[in-house]
Amino acid sequence: MTTTAAVAAVAAVPEPRRHRWRRAGTGAASLALVLIAWEAAARVIGDAVTLPTVTETVSVLVRYLTETYPEVQGKTLIQNALISTARILAGFLLGSLAGLALGSAMAGSRVVRDLADPVISVIRPLPPIAFIPLFVVWFGIGETSKIALIFFGVLPIVTIATLGALDAVPDGLVHASRSLGASPLRTMLHVRLRAAVPGIITGARIAMGGAWTSIIAAEMIAATGGVGFLILQAGNYLQTPLIFSGIAFIAVLGFAFDGLLRLLLRLADPTVRR
Amino acid sequence: MSAPTLTAVATPTAVRLRDVRKTFRRRRREGRAALDGIDLDVAAGEFLCLLGPSGCGKSTLLNILAGFTSADSGEVVVGDRPVTGPGPDRGVLFQTPMLFPWLTTWQNVLYGPKSRGALTPAVRDEAAELLETVGLADARDAYPHELSGGMRHRAAFARVLINRPGLLLMDEPFGALDAITRAAMQRFLLDLWQRHSMTIVFVTHDVEEATLLGDRVAVLSAPPGGTKDVVEIGLPRPRRYEDTDTLAFVEAKRRIREVLER
Repeated sequence: MTTTAAVAAVAAVPEPRRHRWRRAGTGAASLALVLIAWEAAARVIGDAVTLPTVTETVSVLVRYLTETYPEVQGKTLIQNALISTARILAGFLLGSLAGLALGSAMAGSRVVRDLADPVISVIRPLPPIAFIPLFVVWFGIGETSKIALIFFGVLPIVTIATLGALDAVPDGLVHASRSLGASPLRTMLHVRLRAAVPGIITGARIAMGGAWTSIIAAEMIAATGGVGFLILQAGNYLQTPLIFSGIAFIAVLGFAFDGLLRLLLRLADPTVRR
Repeated sequence: MSAPTLTAVATPTAVRLRDVRKTFRRRRREGRAALDGIDLDVAAGEFLCLLGPSGCGKSTLLNILAGFTSADSGEVVVGDRPVTGPGPDRGVLFQTPMLFPWLTTWQNVLYGPKSRGALTPAVRDEAAELLETVGLADARDAYPHELSGGMRHRAAFARVLINRPGLLLMDEPFGALDAITRAAMQRFLLDLWQRHSMTIVFVTHDVEEATLLGDRVAVLSAPPGGTKDVVEIGLPRPRRYEDTDTLAFVEAKRRIREVLER
């Protein structure tokens, strides 16, 4: 009797929501565990340069949210984060749009595919970081070289994701659309491209991860601002808590951008909604 | 699933095929086979089954009728017009329902009229009525992945019927369903066709299905496909799945098998 009642009570809570809460709880617990381990290790080591405590790091992070580092001619954490974010957004959006266009053109035209495929195949496995000195020579150490770097990192990934996703659209969906009376253009936009959207977004998520790697590296090699630049500066002055602060900022921003893309994916693909 | 009743009435169209030929050079994909001179007439309002071994070109023939691919030579006429491409006058039901996964049942059904700029309040009323007919009124806002196999097929029916096609082309549409759902869908199709005049060309490799559904069964030969013979079923309508045990039914099946094995 009591068992039945208990089962009924549990079943009354919608299954997916219960899972979501449990997952969020587990996630928070695992993060807390890492912080506790960090704090313990820092206390055992007892040297703020090697490993500052969590509390030290947090107080440094909070201080440099509004204070500049270095004090003269420096920037705050927030300013640096905005600089990096702007570079990522510009390069990522331009690269994604170009990749979308190139991938679509390759899917639509045999000639474009045969021309572009070898070029993309050669460029794709190259680490974008290898191009930093070249872009500095070409575009200087200003914004152009950073945006170009991200652009050329994002482009091949989104191109291949778009091409793959368009190729994978079943002929039947296109046929269904045409035989229901839709024009070829409408079918291309509303069925073929639409069916490819989830695959394209997944490609964009992968490209976004690479974009952060590229931008931080570029900012460490040739820049006067950005989170990468700040981390390098902090390292030069043995400001370990600030290094951790910069890394924490990258983590939060990376998580936020991926969350945005995941949200987009959920909106585009009803099958991943639950 | 209530008994189908529809206000949308189509005028059934006749089909005329003369010496239709098709060959595929290289890269022949599975399920696509050559046709070697097909002659076939389907009367307006007739239920014709295309039966043959796999690779005989029955799906190719259906694709030619639908306008997805063109014949190398020969005459393909639906109604009074030669087929030049796909169109809403010929409804197609595929081996899988091919619903658009990002649209709800309701949006899927309205896709055709909306694409053609023909979405009027009257069409919406008709769509609601159609969903009622196919038993999906409650699943109107569900996405395809939330529907069962049979429900998806019925949604695909509604999506095609909203266009009032005079000809329905069906390519082994129930092949992937379990036996019970399949019997239910066959019954649903017969009810629908009984009440609403439509020409149906139904591709199958199942002798029993062809016998149960068709007025006539056109048997295609092994590749390259040609028409071997057209068998009149001649069983009384309405037919029910229970009739498959009767002597007359078994006799009809035997006649088809004889042609197949010839």
